[in-house]
Amino acid sequence: MSDLSKLVSRLENGAALPGKLYAKTGRAHIVGITGPPGVGKSSLIDRLIEEYRRQKKTVGVIAIDPTSPITGGALLGDRLRMQRHSEDAGVFIRSLATRNHRGGVTDSTPAIVHVLDAAGFDLVIVETVGAGQDEVEVADVADTVVVVLMPELGDAIQQAKSGLMEIADILVINKSDLGATKTARPAIHTSAKTGEGIVELVAAIAAHHKALVKSGDLAKRRARAARAEVIRLLQSRMAESILRALESTRAQKILTDVTQRKLDPFDAVAKLAGEINHGNTSSYRRP
Amino acid sequence: MPRPLKVLIAKAGLDGHERGALVVAMGLRDAGMEVVYTGIRNTPEQIVASAIQEDVDVIGLSSLSGGHMAQFKRVMELLKKEKIKGKLVFAGGIIPDDDVKKLKKLGIKEVFGPGSSIASIVEFLKKNV
Repeated sequence: MSDLSKLVSRLENGAALPGKLYAKTGRAHIVGITGPPGVGKSSLIDRLIEEYRRQKKTVGVIAIDPTSPITGGALLGDRLRMQRHSEDAGVFIRSLATRNHRGGVTDSTPAIVHVLDAAGFDLVIVETVGAGQDEVEVADVADTVVVVLMPELGDAIQQAKSGLMEIADILVINKSDLGATKTARPAIHTSAKTGEGIVELVAAIAAHHKALVKSGDLAKRRARAARAEVIRLLQSRMAESILRALESTRAQKILTDVTQRKLDPFDAVAKLAGEINHGNTSSYRRP
Repeated sequence: MPRPLKVLIAKAGLDGHERGALVVAMGLRDAGMEVVYTGIRNTPEQIVASAIQEDVDVIGLSSLSGGHMAQFKRVMELLKKEKIKGKLVFAGGIIPDDDVKKLKKLGIKEVFGPGSSIASIVEFLKKNV
C-alpha cells in the first residue's frame, strides 16, 4: 500500500506514469460518482464499498475536495465517511485536492485511475468535488457516471438542463429516507443512512457495464476518454510553455501596451503568438 | 511544483469532542495545507492505515477523553511496525504535563494543550517538517 500511495503522490505532483504501466490498464470498471455538495456521495460510496466487499470485489477510491483559491489549502473530508474500510486490504482510499483544476476532478485524476486500474482493483470509484451544473469532466474518465441528487433539489426544469444532468448513466436520489421524490427519468432511490437501494444501485452499475460491453460502447467511450486525456495533457503543457514565453521582454511590452490601452487584447494575442515557440518539443517531454 | 504540506487530523478512541480538532484542521487549511480530517472514534489501526494511503507528511492526534496514553502509544507502535518513517506526529487535547513527557519519549514531537494558538501550530509544523 505504501508504494502505491507514494506513486499516487508523484503523479499528483505532475510526474509521468511509470513506463510500462499504461499497457496494464483497461481491466477495472471505472465508476464516477458526482453531484452537488452535501447529497451524500461519500456516504453512498461507503455503502457501495460494503456491498462490493460482500461480493469479494476490491475497490480503489479517489475522493476529491476543493482547494482554496485564496490560500491553496484544502480540507479533505470525504474519507471520514468511509473510514471503517481503512484497514481492509481490499480497499484503497485516497483524498485529493483540486489544486484549482476546474471541471470537478484533478489534473492527475486520469493518471491515478490508471495506477489503481493497473494495481488490480476490480472497481475504481472517482468521487468528484461537490459539482455544479457545468462540472462534467468525470464523464471523460469514467465508464459509468452516477449522478447523485437528493429530495427537494429542484423541479422538472432543473432536471431538463444540460451539463451535469446529461452525463448521468444512472441517476440516484439519495437521502430517500427524507421523503419521496418524483423524477422526470428513471432513478434509483437510496439512503446511505439506512442502506436502502444500495443493492439495486450496485446491480444497476454492473448492468450498465455489461450493456456497454455488449453494445461495443465501452470501447467507444474509452477511446473518447483516451483522446480527452491526451488533449488535456497537451493543453496543460502548452499553457506552461505559453506562460514561460510571456516572461520575455518583448512579450511583457505587449502586455503593458494592453494595460495602457495602446493595444487591444485581440491584437495582443496575434502579436504574442509569434513569441511562443510551439515547436520547442523540450517543453513536452515526460516530466 | 512542491505539493502543499499534507496533514492527517484524527481523533483516536472513544471521544466525541471534535471542536478542537476541527478548528485545528481549518486553521491548517487556512495556512495553505492539505488536511485530511478523519473525524471521531478512529482506531489507531485506522489512523495508521489512513496515513499510509493518504501519504501524509504529518499526523495530528487529538484526545480529550483521557485515553491518550493507550491510543497514541498504539499509533506510535503501529508506525514502527509498518516501518513508516519520516512522518511527524503531534498531538493536542487535555493531556496532563506528566503524560506530555511520556508521549514525547514515544516519539510524539509536540503536544498542544488548551489555549494554544493556530499560529503556533503552523509555525511548529513549518519549522519541523
